This record gives sequence, C-alpha cells and structure tokens, in this order.
Amino acid sequence: MSDHETIEVVVHGMTRSSDRSLMIELRPSAQNAVLPAFEAGAHIDVHLGSLVRQYSLLGSDDETDRYWIGVLREEDGRGGSAAVHDALRVGDRVRISAPRNTFPLDASAGHSVLLAGGIGLTPLVAMAERLHREGASFELHAYSPSEETLPLRDHLASRPWASRVRLHYSGTGDSLRAGAPEPITSPQPGAVLYVCGPPGFIDAAVAYAASAGWPEEAVRTERFVLAEPVELSGAAFSVIAASTGQVMGVGEDETIAEVLERNGFQVFLSCEQGICGSCITDVLDGIPDHRDEVQSPAEHASNTLINICCSRSRTPTLTLDI
Amino acid sequence: MSLLTSVPPAVASALPPLPRNLTFDPDDWAIIAGYWYPVAMSSEVTEGPLGATLLDVPLVVYRFEGQVVVADNLCTHRGMMLSLGEDQKDGKGIKCPYHGLRFAAEGRCISIPAHPDGKIPERMHLRSYGAVEKYGLVWTCLASRPGDEPVIPPVPHWDDEGFQQINCPWIDIEAFAGRQVEGFLDVAHFAFVHDKSFADSSNPIVPDYSPQVTEDGFETEYWSSMGNVPIGVEADIPDGFQWLRHFRLHVPFTASLVVHFPDGGRLSMMNAASPMSAKRTRLFDARCRNFGTDGPLQDVYDFNRQVFEEDRAMVEAQKPENLPLDPKLEVHIPADKSSIAYRRALRGIGLSAFFSA
Repeated sequence: MSDHETIEVVVHGMTRSSDRSLMIELRPSAQNAVLPAFEAGAHIDVHLGSLVRQYSLLGSDDETDRYWIGVLREEDGRGGSAAVHDALRVGDRVRISAPRNTFPLDASAGHSVLLAGGIGLTPLVAMAERLHREGASFELHAYSPSEETLPLRDHLASRPWASRVRLHYSGTGDSLRAGAPEPITSPQPGAVLYVCGPPGFIDAAVAYAASAGWPEEAVRTERFVLAEPVELSGAAFSVIAASTGQVMGVGEDETIAEVLERNGFQVFLSCEQGICGSCITDVLDGIPDHRDEVQSPAEHASNTLINICCSRSRTPTLTLDI
Repeated sequence: MSLLTSVPPAVASALPPLPRNLTFDPDDWAIIAGYWYPVAMSSEVTEGPLGATLLDVPLVVYRFEGQVVVADNLCTHRGMMLSLGEDQKDGKGIKCPYHGLRFAAEGRCISIPAHPDGKIPERMHLRSYGAVEKYGLVWTCLASRPGDEPVIPPVPHWDDEGFQQINCPWIDIEAFAGRQVEGFLDVAHFAFVHDKSFADSSNPIVPDYSPQVTEDGFETEYWSSMGNVPIGVEADIPDGFQWLRHFRLHVPFTASLVVHFPDGGRLSMMNAASPMSAKRTRLFDARCRNFGTDGPLQDVYDFNRQVFEEDRAMVEAQKPENLPLDPKLEVHIPADKSSIAYRRALRGIGLSAFFSA
C-alpha cells in the first residue's frame, strides 16, 4: 500500500485521560480486518474533514487489531485538537494513513532515557510499552507545566511500568530550562536518549546531552511536525466598509473574505490560509485578531493591516478601507 | 502598505547603457544589474577571449598576466565580437579578429596594428567591469569598475578543513533565473521530480518550516525524512534518520543549501543562477563536502547533471516564464513558505510585481 492511500477506521472508544487529553481507540471498519503493523515511535495521519493531523501511536506494537492515539486539547492550536475534542465521537468513521516511523526505537540499548515535553510524550509511551515488554532498562521523564496539563496522566499511572516514570512540573520550578535530570547530565555508557517535544525543548535537551558527553548518535529526536492549518472560526463580529458605511455580520464559521464576497466586494484570495498576503486589506478602526503568518510581529502590533482570508476581530466591529 | 523586506538594493551608480534587445523591464534591469553574478568557471578562462552574456549584455572574459578581465564583447572600433578572436598565446592581450586591435588589463587597448606609432584614443578602451575569482567562479557586476569590492554570497564550509571543493559544470536553462532559483528552494517537488535520482516517491508530505528574513534574503532549516543519497548508491543511513537541509537565499538569484548527513557529514552547495537574459539562465555550481572526498568527481558531475536536468524539464515548461511577485497571481500552499519568502524578498529590492518580461 502506498502512503498516499488511506484506511477507514472506526472510533471504537474514547477515554478522558487528563483534564485536557483524550485516549482514542481506532479499529478497522471492516470486520476481522487488521491494521498495518507499526513500530514504537510511529505516527499516523488522521483526516478530520479538511484537516489532516499527525498523531503518534500509543499502544503496543504487537497489536494490529486496534490503534491508540492521544490527543491533547490545545487552546491556542489551529483547530485539529479542537475538532477531535468537540466533534469526534464514538462510532465515527475517519480515514487514517498507514503508520510511518521517523523516530525508531533501538530496543537493544543497555538503557534508554525517554524525555518528553508536553504532548511529545505520545511516541515515547509506545517506546516505554515496547521496552517494558522486552524487559529492557529504561526511564521516562515527562515535562509539563502542571499536573493538570500533563497529557495522558491517568494512562501513565495505569501502566505496569508506571514506576519508571518521573514527572517534572515547570510550574513548580522543575523545568528543563532550569536544569537537566541526572540521567542526562551523567550518561550511562551504552545508553540511548530519545527526546520529543516542542522545538525549543528538543534544542535544550540536545544541548544538555552534548555538554554532558553523550555521543551524537545516541541522542534521537523527532524534530518535525506538519504545518497546522489555520483556525478560521471564532466569535462573531461585524465588518464595516469605509466607502459605503455598510455593516456586515461575520458569523462564527465565516471568514471576512466570504462575507465581503457575498456582499459584492472584490476580494483577492490565493492561499486562503494566511501565508501568502494576497488579501491584505487596510484597517481603519478596530483591532484585528491576527491569524496569518505573513505580517511581521511589528506589523501585527500596528493593527493597520489584516489578512481577510483567515484573521478575525478582537473588537465588536472592524472598519476596513474598502 | 509596507510588507517589504528591507533589503538594500546594491549601488547601481555606474551602469552601462541599456543593452540592445533588452528582455527585462528597464527598471527591473537597473536593479538586478547592481548585483554580482558568475559568468564563467575559473577553469575555462584563458588568455584567449571567452564569450559570455549577463543581463542581455554580451561580455568577453579573458586573462591578462593571470588576472581575469571582464569587458564588453564589442570592439570599440567597428563593433566586432571580440570573442571570435583566437587565443594568441603571446601574453599581449586578446586580439580583435577584424583589424587586430589588442586589449589588455582592464580592457585597455594597447595596440592598433594599422598605426603602430599612432595615438590610441581614450575611447578605444573597452568598457570593463569588476572581475573577481571566488569559489572557482569568475564573478562580475555590471555596475562595478575594475578593482571594486565584490559582494558575493558565501558557500558555507568552502574554506573549512577537510572539505573538498568542487565545481560541477554549468548548465544552460531556457528559463528565467527566478523560476530556477525558486525550484532550488522548493521542498515539495522531490517526491515527484527526483524519484529517479534521490527521492522517495512515497514520501510527498512536507513538514512545517519557518523561513527567517535575513539582511539579503532569507534562510530556513528544513527537517524531513527525505533522503539525499543517489538511488543505487549504498549508504549507511540509520533507520528513521532525519535530514536537515539548511537553505539560504541571497537576492536576487543565488542560493545555498547545506545538507546534514549522518555522523557529521555535510554537503554544501551554491546554486548561482546567472541571468543571461530574462529567458535564459546559466546555472553555476560551487559545492564542498567532508565525506567521500576520494570518490571520482565524474560521479558528482553526472549526479548533479541528472538532478538539474530533472529540474530543467520543469522550469522550462512553467508559464508565465517570469516569476509573478504579486502573491495574487499564483496559488500558494504551506509547502511554499520559501517561495513566498523569496518573492517577498525580490519585491523588497523594488522589482516590479510581474517581474520580469
């Protein structure tokens, strides 16, 4: 099967695993079908309507009748996690890709240190599962702002390897920035370090490991993520056309561009996701809710321009130079 | 509205007159003529005249007493193409094939055979330009004079210890330089265009990346699982290895790419697109690597030729032939962040929105 093809699966179960994270069990939609085998560290693409998101597989890599993914609700994310939390329900059918692994595990290492920042925990959970099954020596360090924000909190506590987990809460001063845990600062010979998390977290961990003398090849990271499509929806507001004074309501799931087009204004759209700058329009009054990547921070702060394909308004009305 | 990057245009104080048969918008031409471009490989320049074309201007390139000279390929006397002259191999400068005038350092006329004792008119000297050899290439700038300080973008690692320096032969492309450079920066075409040379056709997905504006363009780090080893070549790449490609763009048409291989291996490549006209580009290459340095150079040339021929087929077929700088004129996807940053940088030096005819 090529990676372009997708597999239909059914949401078989959803479990709340912490205040903000869900464990989701996916099973093949066809009776008695099996899913492609995967290796610990692998991820799948999940198609959520027009959105595609990557999620690491959590479960045991010897299970082919089901996949488990963990999804953290990210309030400032761009809609994927919100779509899962708000809209995905047991019994829904979704399409997924075959697993891909860019973060493979070497289960034969003498000792494995798994270092997770935030939702970067998920591929490391599958690794812990595998290492536990192999009887291998390992420890898992999970960093999170607080206990409430720790993804998969209950899942971690329920695992037979829970005693190998060390939790670090930056809210109480135990952040990676403040210092690396002892297994990183004093590496065991033959150990392998796996790091997954936000880019700054990975950079910090790699720097600690390098200065502690870890061999370069013993430090494994998962560095890249897919572009998150821009979140287009939000609270309703009104736009005012300065030329005519016309007031037009922009609903929760509408964009300014859609509303303007419907009202006969000429709109120049290209990317429709705030990356190219085709639709930039002058703002005469009101404060935009900027969601584009085109304008610089200074331009955003000046609040004089808006990408009408994706950005919204922080004020009840927004007057545009149209 | 100001969405332009603050790239200062090079000083274009002393431009030659607009060339005949100009293929660029004159205002665009005046801007891009202020930058330095390669016009030859050092290895191909002798005491004999070598013809070259930069931005519709015909040039002659030669050595005099070891120094490279770049001058108009036009005898001031009766308009003959000096590059038609034969190498005299006598150390006395290039010789016009029509009346035998000789031209030496800085394009100065030193002999008029019809009047050996006569005065050499001041206007008989060729218009000549700054000429510098760097990275195995001869660079010039139409707004410069001999001796001017060049502004040449870097080839990362070129002078680092343990790096082998290579110039793959240039390739002519019947397309605009901007389209070619954008293709070099493009990360979404590997799986489709290069699946016979190095890419995995089953890996089309482009992970996110974020170009950062620099003084003269932008740079970006691009992490992905797309390998960079010629198909059919055995290589010891760890499972799941993540490749880092570090791109740097220098307006208007020079880019570099450092590919990070396992175990500290680095391959650094400069893609210097020299615009012969708005429809023709001579692509020069300067690269270095710190692995496989004892391998045959012909293999490097052949692989590079294969990859760039794959790109050439695409670039020559693109319409419009120019690079539309107004974002409204083409449709953009997140994989295009480098392309968007490139077009923005070109707008930032003042080029017209529909650059360039």
